[in-house]
Amino acid sequence: MDGQLIRAAAVAATLAIAPTGTMAHQLVVFASVDCQVVTVEAKFSNGRVAQAGDVRVLDGENTLLMTLELGEDGTAVVPLDSVDHSGGLVIEVDTGGHDNYWIVTPDDITRNCGS
Amino acid sequence: MKRFALGMAVAVLAATTGLAQDRPQIATVNYPLQYFAEQLAGDAADVLFPVPEDVDPSFWRPTISDISTIQGADLILLNGAGFATWIDRVSLPRSRVVNTSVAIEDQFIVTKSITHSHGDGGEHSHEGLAAYTWLDPTLASAQAEAVATAIAGKGLVPVEDVAERLIALQADLAALDARTAEALADVGDVAIIATHPRYQYLARRYDLNITSLEWEAGAMPSDAELAELADEAAQTGATVLIWEDTPPDAGFDAVTDLGLRNVVFSPLATANGDADFIASFDAYVTALSDALQAQPGN
Repeated sequence: MDGQLIRAAAVAATLAIAPTGTMAHQLVVFASVDCQVVTVEAKFSNGRVAQAGDVRVLDGENTLLMTLELGEDGTAVVPLDSVDHSGGLVIEVDTGGHDNYWIVTPDDITRNCGS
Repeated sequence: MKRFALGMAVAVLAATTGLAQDRPQIATVNYPLQYFAEQLAGDAADVLFPVPEDVDPSFWRPTISDISTIQGADLILLNGAGFATWIDRVSLPRSRVVNTSVAIEDQFIVTKSITHSHGDGGEHSHEGLAAYTWLDPTLASAQAEAVATAIAGKGLVPVEDVAERLIALQADLAALDARTAEALADVGDVAIIATHPRYQYLARRYDLNITSLEWEAGAMPSDAELAELADEAAQTGATVLIWEDTPPDAGFDAVTDLGLRNVVFSPLATANGDADFIASFDAYVTALSDALQAQPGN
Protein backbone atom coordinates (compact mmCIF):
# COMPACT_ATOMS: atom_id res chain seq x y z
CA MET A 1 0.00 0.00 0.00
CA ASP A 2 1.57 3.33 -0.97
CA GLY A 3 1.09 6.70 0.66
CA GLN A 4 -1.92 7.50 -1.46
CA LEU A 5 -3.55 4.26 -0.49
CA ILE A 6 -2.95 4.95 3.19
CA ARG A 7 -4.72 8.27 2.81
CA ALA A 8 -7.44 6.69 0.72
CA ALA A 9 -8.01 4.06 3.37
CA ALA A 10 -8.43 6.74 6.00
CA VAL A 11 -10.88 8.67 3.86
CA ALA A 12 -12.79 5.50 3.04
CA ALA A 13 -12.95 4.59 6.70
CA THR A 14 -14.25 8.03 7.53
CA LEU A 15 -16.90 7.82 4.85
CA ALA A 16 -17.91 4.33 5.86
CA ILE A 17 -18.03 4.92 9.57
CA ALA A 18 -19.61 8.30 10.02
CA PRO A 19 -21.69 9.22 7.00
CA THR A 20 -23.87 11.64 8.89
CA GLY A 21 -23.52 13.81 11.93
CA THR A 22 -19.76 13.65 12.04
CA MET A 23 -17.74 15.96 14.23
CA ALA A 24 -18.06 19.40 12.70
CA HIS A 25 -14.68 20.68 13.81
CA GLN A 26 -11.97 18.20 14.59
CA LEU A 27 -8.30 18.02 13.74
CA VAL A 28 -7.65 15.32 11.18
CA VAL A 29 -4.12 13.96 10.88
CA PHE A 30 -2.87 11.79 8.03
CA ALA A 31 0.61 10.42 7.52
CA SER A 32 1.68 8.91 4.24
CA VAL A 33 4.91 6.99 3.83
CA ASP A 34 7.40 6.39 1.10
CA CYS A 35 10.89 5.02 1.31
CA GLN A 36 12.44 8.34 2.29
CA VAL A 37 9.95 10.31 4.34
CA VAL A 38 6.76 10.36 6.31
CA THR A 39 4.59 13.21 5.10
CA VAL A 40 2.27 14.51 7.79
CA GLU A 41 -0.86 16.41 6.82
CA ALA A 42 -3.17 18.15 9.28
CA LYS A 43 -6.42 19.92 8.62
CA PHE A 44 -9.66 20.51 10.38
CA SER A 45 -12.69 18.49 9.50
CA ASN A 46 -14.35 21.63 8.18
CA GLY A 47 -11.68 21.65 5.44
CA ARG A 48 -9.52 24.43 6.86
CA VAL A 49 -5.79 23.71 6.82
CA ALA A 50 -4.07 23.68 10.21
CA GLN A 51 -1.47 26.39 9.60
CA ALA A 52 0.51 26.06 12.81
CA GLY A 53 1.19 23.43 15.40
CA ASP A 54 3.70 21.06 16.88
CA VAL A 55 4.40 17.72 15.25
CA ARG A 56 5.81 15.16 17.65
CA VAL A 57 7.34 11.94 16.39
CA LEU A 58 7.42 9.05 18.89
CA ASP A 59 8.49 5.45 18.70
CA GLY A 60 6.61 2.37 19.85
CA GLU A 61 7.71 2.95 23.43
CA ASN A 62 6.31 6.49 23.39
CA THR A 63 9.81 7.94 23.39
CA LEU A 64 9.93 11.35 21.74
CA LEU A 65 12.23 11.14 18.72
CA MET A 66 11.71 14.50 17.08
CA THR A 67 9.59 17.63 17.19
CA LEU A 68 8.76 19.64 14.09
CA GLU A 69 6.71 22.71 13.29
CA LEU A 70 3.69 22.32 11.08
CA GLY A 71 4.08 24.39 7.92
CA GLU A 72 1.55 26.97 6.75
CA ASP A 73 0.30 24.44 4.24
CA GLY A 74 -0.57 22.08 7.08
CA THR A 75 2.20 19.61 6.33
CA ALA A 76 5.46 18.46 7.85
CA VAL A 77 8.04 16.03 6.55
CA VAL A 78 9.85 13.49 8.70
CA PRO A 79 12.96 12.07 6.98
CA LEU A 80 13.01 8.36 7.74
CA ASP A 81 16.79 8.30 7.98
CA SER A 82 16.61 10.77 10.86
CA VAL A 83 14.64 8.51 13.20
CA ASP A 84 14.69 4.88 14.26
CA HIS A 85 11.50 3.71 12.60
CA SER A 86 12.09 -0.01 12.98
CA GLY A 87 9.27 -0.32 15.51
CA GLY A 88 6.95 2.06 13.73
CA LEU A 89 6.15 5.67 14.50
CA VAL A 90 3.42 7.62 16.23
CA ILE A 91 2.82 11.07 14.79
CA GLU A 92 1.13 13.53 17.11
CA VAL A 93 -0.05 16.96 15.96
CA ASP A 94 -1.07 19.62 18.48
CA THR A 95 -2.43 22.95 17.27
CA GLY A 96 -3.02 24.29 20.74
CA GLY A 97 -6.76 23.90 20.62
CA HIS A 98 -6.99 20.51 18.96
CA ASP A 99 -4.76 17.50 18.77
CA ASN A 100 -4.77 14.15 17.10
CA TYR A 101 -2.42 11.39 16.03
CA TRP A 102 -1.62 8.87 13.33
CA ILE A 103 0.05 5.50 13.79
CA VAL A 104 2.54 4.23 11.24
CA THR A 105 3.34 0.57 11.69
CA PRO A 106 6.54 -1.13 10.50
CA ASP A 107 4.39 -2.88 7.91
CA ASP A 108 3.12 0.44 6.58
CA ILE A 109 6.72 1.45 5.98
CA THR A 110 8.00 -1.80 4.50
CA ARG A 111 5.03 -2.08 2.15
CA ASN A 112 5.94 1.26 0.67
CA CYS A 113 9.57 0.34 0.19
CA GLY A 114 8.77 -2.81 -1.70
CA SER A 115 10.63 -4.97 0.76
CA MET B 1 -31.55 -13.11 6.92
CA LYS B 2 -32.26 -11.91 3.35
CA ARG B 3 -29.05 -9.92 3.29
CA PHE B 4 -27.23 -12.90 4.75
CA ALA B 5 -28.61 -15.11 1.99
CA LEU B 6 -27.25 -12.70 -0.59
CA GLY B 7 -23.92 -12.78 1.17
CA MET B 8 -23.79 -16.52 0.74
CA ALA B 9 -23.21 -16.20 -2.98
CA VAL B 10 -20.22 -14.03 -2.24
CA ALA B 11 -19.07 -16.52 0.34
CA VAL B 12 -18.99 -19.38 -2.12
CA LEU B 13 -16.81 -17.36 -4.44
CA ALA B 14 -14.49 -16.27 -1.67
CA ALA B 15 -14.24 -19.53 0.23
CA THR B 16 -11.08 -20.61 -1.52
CA THR B 17 -9.06 -17.75 -0.06
CA GLY B 18 -5.88 -19.02 1.52
CA LEU B 19 -5.27 -18.27 5.19
CA ALA B 20 -1.94 -17.23 6.61
CA GLN B 21 -2.56 -18.37 10.18
CA ASP B 22 -3.50 -21.79 11.48
CA ARG B 23 -6.80 -20.27 12.49
CA PRO B 24 -8.10 -17.09 10.95
CA GLN B 25 -8.19 -14.01 13.13
CA ILE B 26 -11.11 -11.64 13.52
CA ALA B 27 -10.42 -8.27 15.13
CA THR B 28 -13.26 -6.40 16.83
CA VAL B 29 -13.66 -2.94 18.33
CA ASN B 30 -16.03 -3.72 21.20
CA TYR B 31 -17.36 -6.57 23.28
CA PRO B 32 -20.71 -7.01 21.50
CA LEU B 33 -18.94 -7.57 18.19
CA GLN B 34 -16.47 -9.89 19.92
CA TYR B 35 -19.40 -11.86 21.34
CA PHE B 36 -21.22 -12.04 18.02
CA ALA B 37 -18.07 -13.11 16.18
CA GLU B 38 -17.31 -15.79 18.76
CA GLN B 39 -20.83 -17.14 18.58
CA LEU B 40 -20.82 -17.19 14.79
CA ALA B 41 -17.28 -18.43 14.16
CA GLY B 42 -17.19 -21.01 16.93
CA ASP B 43 -13.81 -22.69 17.15
CA ALA B 44 -12.96 -21.91 13.56
CA ALA B 45 -11.40 -18.51 14.28
CA ASP B 46 -9.62 -16.54 16.97
CA VAL B 47 -11.54 -13.42 17.86
CA LEU B 48 -9.44 -10.49 19.03
CA PHE B 49 -10.60 -7.59 21.19
CA PRO B 50 -7.30 -6.02 22.22
CA VAL B 51 -8.63 -3.18 24.39
CA PRO B 52 -7.54 -3.54 28.05
CA GLU B 53 -10.38 -4.25 30.49
CA ASP B 54 -10.05 -0.94 32.30
CA VAL B 55 -10.06 1.20 29.15
CA ASP B 56 -13.13 2.61 27.42
CA PRO B 57 -12.92 1.15 23.90
CA SER B 58 -14.60 4.26 22.51
CA PHE B 59 -11.49 6.28 23.29
CA TRP B 60 -8.79 3.61 23.36
CA ARG B 61 -5.44 4.69 22.00
CA PRO B 62 -3.76 1.62 20.55
CA THR B 63 -0.05 1.01 20.42
CA ILE B 64 1.84 0.41 17.21
CA SER B 65 1.96 -3.27 18.15
CA ASP B 66 -1.82 -3.36 18.59
CA ILE B 67 -2.33 -1.89 15.15
CA SER B 68 0.16 -4.27 13.60
CA THR B 69 -1.84 -7.16 15.04
CA ILE B 70 -5.14 -5.72 13.83
CA GLN B 71 -3.71 -5.03 10.38
CA GLY B 72 -2.80 -8.70 10.17
CA ALA B 73 -6.29 -9.97 10.98
CA ASP B 74 -8.32 -11.71 8.31
CA LEU B 75 -11.36 -9.66 9.16
CA ILE B 76 -11.71 -6.37 11.04
CA LEU B 77 -15.18 -5.68 12.39
CA LEU B 78 -16.08 -2.05 13.06
CA ASN B 79 -19.16 -0.89 14.90
CA GLY B 80 -19.81 2.28 12.92
CA ALA B 81 -21.78 5.25 14.31
CA GLY B 82 -18.49 6.88 15.24
CA PHE B 83 -17.56 4.21 17.79
CA ALA B 84 -13.81 3.79 18.39
CA THR B 85 -12.00 6.97 17.47
CA TRP B 86 -8.72 5.17 16.78
CA ILE B 87 -9.93 3.67 13.52
CA ASP B 88 -9.58 7.04 11.79
CA ARG B 89 -5.95 7.35 12.93
CA VAL B 90 -4.45 4.26 11.37
CA SER B 91 -4.19 2.54 8.03
CA LEU B 92 -6.49 -0.46 7.84
CA PRO B 93 -6.69 -2.87 4.90
CA ARG B 94 -9.93 -1.89 3.24
CA SER B 95 -10.59 -5.30 1.78
CA ARG B 96 -10.73 -6.82 5.27
CA VAL B 97 -12.66 -4.08 7.05
CA VAL B 98 -16.41 -4.42 7.57
CA ASN B 99 -18.64 -1.77 9.09
CA THR B 100 -21.34 -3.80 10.83
CA SER B 101 -23.89 -1.01 11.04
CA VAL B 102 -24.16 0.02 7.40
CA ALA B 103 -27.63 -1.52 7.15
CA ILE B 104 -28.92 0.42 10.14
CA GLU B 105 -27.47 3.84 9.40
CA ASP B 106 -30.96 5.22 8.86
CA GLN B 107 -31.66 4.38 12.50
CA PHE B 108 -28.67 6.22 13.95
CA ILE B 109 -29.40 8.82 16.60
CA VAL B 110 -27.73 12.20 16.14
CA THR B 111 -26.58 13.57 19.48
CA LYS B 112 -26.96 17.16 20.55
CA SER B 113 -24.25 19.66 19.82
CA ILE B 114 -21.66 20.66 22.36
CA THR B 115 -20.77 24.32 21.93
CA HIS B 116 -17.41 25.66 23.07
CA SER B 117 -14.68 28.01 21.98
CA HIS B 118 -10.90 28.15 22.10
CA GLY B 119 -8.08 29.93 20.32
CA ASP B 120 -9.19 32.36 17.65
CA GLY B 121 -11.69 30.01 16.09
CA GLY B 122 -14.68 31.52 17.86
CA GLU B 123 -17.56 29.58 19.30
CA HIS B 124 -18.37 26.39 17.46
CA SER B 125 -20.14 23.13 18.03
CA HIS B 126 -19.39 19.44 17.75
CA GLU B 127 -22.18 17.13 16.70
CA GLY B 128 -21.96 13.39 16.75
CA LEU B 129 -23.78 10.10 16.69
CA ALA B 130 -24.93 7.94 19.54
CA ALA B 131 -22.63 4.96 19.17
CA TYR B 132 -23.95 2.28 21.54
CA THR B 133 -26.21 0.76 18.91
CA TRP B 134 -26.26 -2.72 20.44
CA LEU B 135 -28.30 -1.52 23.42
CA ASP B 136 -31.26 -1.91 21.06
CA PRO B 137 -31.25 -5.70 20.54
CA THR B 138 -32.96 -5.34 17.16
CA LEU B 139 -30.02 -3.24 15.97
CA ALA B 140 -27.64 -5.70 17.59
CA SER B 141 -29.34 -8.43 15.58
CA ALA B 142 -28.73 -6.51 12.36
CA GLN B 143 -25.08 -6.12 13.32
CA ALA B 144 -24.84 -9.84 14.08
CA GLU B 145 -26.15 -10.52 10.60
CA ALA B 146 -23.49 -8.25 9.14
CA VAL B 147 -20.85 -10.14 11.12
CA ALA B 148 -22.19 -13.46 9.82
CA THR B 149 -22.15 -12.23 6.24
CA ALA B 150 -18.58 -10.99 6.64
CA ILE B 151 -17.34 -14.23 8.21
CA ALA B 152 -18.97 -16.32 5.54
CA GLY B 153 -17.99 -13.92 2.79
CA LYS B 154 -14.33 -14.24 3.73
CA GLY B 155 -14.62 -17.99 3.77
CA LEU B 156 -13.47 -18.16 7.38
CA VAL B 157 -16.22 -20.57 8.41
CA PRO B 158 -18.39 -22.86 6.28
CA VAL B 159 -21.48 -21.02 5.15
CA GLU B 160 -23.94 -23.56 6.51
CA ASP B 161 -22.33 -23.40 9.96
CA VAL B 162 -22.53 -19.62 10.08
CA ALA B 163 -26.14 -19.64 8.90
CA GLU B 164 -27.16 -22.09 11.60
CA ARG B 165 -25.39 -20.10 14.31
CA LEU B 166 -26.85 -16.84 13.09
CA ILE B 167 -30.36 -18.23 13.41
CA ALA B 168 -29.62 -19.23 17.01
CA LEU B 169 -27.96 -15.91 17.86
CA GLN B 170 -30.77 -13.85 16.36
CA ALA B 171 -33.28 -15.96 18.28
CA ASP B 172 -31.38 -15.18 21.47
CA LEU B 173 -31.42 -11.47 20.67
CA ALA B 174 -35.12 -11.52 19.79
CA ALA B 175 -35.87 -13.23 23.08
CA LEU B 176 -33.73 -10.66 24.89
CA ASP B 177 -35.68 -7.90 23.19
CA ALA B 178 -38.98 -9.47 24.24
CA ARG B 179 -37.86 -9.94 27.84
CA THR B 180 -36.57 -6.38 28.01
CA ALA B 181 -39.78 -4.97 26.57
CA GLU B 182 -41.82 -6.90 29.11
CA ALA B 183 -39.59 -5.91 32.02
CA LEU B 184 -39.64 -2.23 31.10
CA ALA B 185 -43.28 -2.02 30.08
CA ASP B 186 -45.32 0.71 31.73
CA VAL B 187 -42.32 2.65 33.02
CA GLY B 188 -42.05 5.03 30.10
CA ASP B 189 -43.16 8.05 32.11
CA VAL B 190 -40.77 7.40 34.97
CA ALA B 191 -37.85 9.78 34.66
CA ILE B 192 -34.37 8.30 34.79
CA ILE B 193 -30.98 9.99 34.97
CA ALA B 194 -27.81 8.35 33.65
CA THR B 195 -24.27 9.26 34.64
CA HIS B 196 -23.21 9.36 30.99
CA PRO B 197 -25.01 9.60 27.63
CA ARG B 198 -24.78 5.93 26.63
CA TYR B 199 -28.38 4.76 26.58
CA GLN B 200 -30.00 6.54 23.63
CA TYR B 201 -30.83 3.38 21.69
CA LEU B 202 -32.09 1.58 24.80
CA ALA B 203 -34.32 4.54 25.61
CA ARG B 204 -35.72 4.79 22.11
CA ARG B 205 -36.42 1.09 21.81
CA TYR B 206 -38.23 0.81 25.14
CA ASP B 207 -39.74 4.29 25.43
CA LEU B 208 -37.62 5.22 28.42
CA ASN B 209 -37.27 8.79 29.62
CA ILE B 210 -33.52 9.13 30.26
CA THR B 211 -31.56 12.34 30.70
CA SER B 212 -27.80 12.21 30.97
CA LEU B 213 -24.98 13.73 32.96
CA GLU B 214 -21.30 13.72 32.01
CA TRP B 215 -19.76 11.95 34.96
CA GLU B 216 -16.58 9.95 34.76
CA ALA B 217 -17.35 6.24 34.72
CA GLY B 218 -16.94 4.56 38.10
CA ALA B 219 -15.61 7.67 39.83
CA MET B 220 -16.83 9.32 43.01
CA PRO B 221 -18.91 12.32 41.92
CA SER B 222 -17.77 15.73 43.11
CA ASP B 223 -19.94 18.01 45.20
CA ALA B 224 -20.70 20.05 42.10
CA GLU B 225 -21.76 16.93 40.22
CA LEU B 226 -24.02 15.86 43.06
CA ALA B 227 -25.56 19.33 43.10
CA GLU B 228 -26.14 19.03 39.36
CA LEU B 229 -27.80 15.66 39.93
CA ALA B 230 -30.03 17.10 42.63
CA ASP B 231 -31.10 19.91 40.29
CA GLU B 232 -31.75 17.49 37.45
CA ALA B 233 -33.76 15.19 39.71
CA ALA B 234 -35.81 18.13 40.93
CA GLN B 235 -36.53 19.26 37.39
CA THR B 236 -37.38 15.84 35.99
CA GLY B 237 -38.78 14.08 39.01
CA ALA B 238 -36.31 11.26 38.46
CA THR B 239 -36.02 8.64 41.18
CA VAL B 240 -33.41 6.39 39.59
CA LEU B 241 -29.78 6.99 38.63
CA ILE B 242 -28.12 4.64 36.15
CA TRP B 243 -24.39 4.30 36.75
CA GLU B 244 -22.26 3.39 33.74
CA ASP B 245 -19.83 1.66 36.08
CA THR B 246 -19.80 0.85 39.78
CA PRO B 247 -18.63 3.83 41.86
CA PRO B 248 -17.14 3.77 45.37
CA ASP B 249 -19.73 2.95 48.06
CA ALA B 250 -19.69 6.60 49.06
CA GLY B 251 -21.02 7.43 45.60
CA PHE B 252 -24.00 5.14 46.08
CA ASP B 253 -24.59 6.61 49.54
CA ALA B 254 -24.48 10.19 48.27
CA VAL B 255 -27.06 9.43 45.60
CA THR B 256 -29.28 7.59 48.07
CA ASP B 257 -29.12 10.64 50.32
CA LEU B 258 -30.56 12.65 47.43
CA GLY B 259 -33.54 10.31 47.33
CA LEU B 260 -32.58 8.36 44.21
CA ARG B 261 -32.14 4.65 43.74
CA ASN B 262 -28.85 3.38 42.30
CA VAL B 263 -28.66 1.02 39.32
CA VAL B 264 -25.44 -0.09 37.62
CA PHE B 265 -26.07 -0.77 33.92
CA SER B 266 -22.84 -1.17 31.99
CA PRO B 267 -23.33 -0.30 28.32
CA LEU B 268 -21.38 -3.50 27.62
CA ALA B 269 -18.75 -1.99 25.35
CA THR B 270 -16.52 -4.25 27.43
CA ALA B 271 -17.41 -7.61 28.93
CA ASN B 272 -19.04 -7.87 32.33
CA GLY B 273 -16.80 -10.39 34.01
CA ASP B 274 -17.61 -13.94 33.02
CA ALA B 275 -21.24 -13.25 32.10
CA ASP B 276 -21.90 -13.18 28.37
CA PHE B 277 -23.66 -10.44 26.43
CA ILE B 278 -27.16 -11.86 26.78
CA ALA B 279 -26.85 -12.73 30.47
CA SER B 280 -25.31 -9.36 31.30
CA PHE B 281 -27.98 -7.44 29.40
CA ASP B 282 -30.70 -9.46 31.14
CA ALA B 283 -29.21 -8.79 34.56
CA TYR B 284 -28.94 -5.06 33.98
CA VAL B 285 -32.50 -4.85 32.69
CA THR B 286 -33.78 -6.75 35.71
CA ALA B 287 -31.95 -4.39 38.05
CA LEU B 288 -33.32 -1.36 36.20
CA SER B 289 -36.85 -2.74 36.18
CA ASP B 290 -36.70 -3.50 39.90
CA ALA B 291 -35.49 0.02 40.66
CA LEU B 292 -38.13 1.65 38.50
CA GLN B 293 -40.93 -0.35 40.00
CA ALA B 294 -39.84 0.05 43.60
CA GLN B 295 -41.90 2.44 45.66
CA PRO B 296 -40.14 5.55 46.92
CA GLY B 297 -38.50 4.88 50.24
CA ASN B 298 -38.15 1.15 49.62
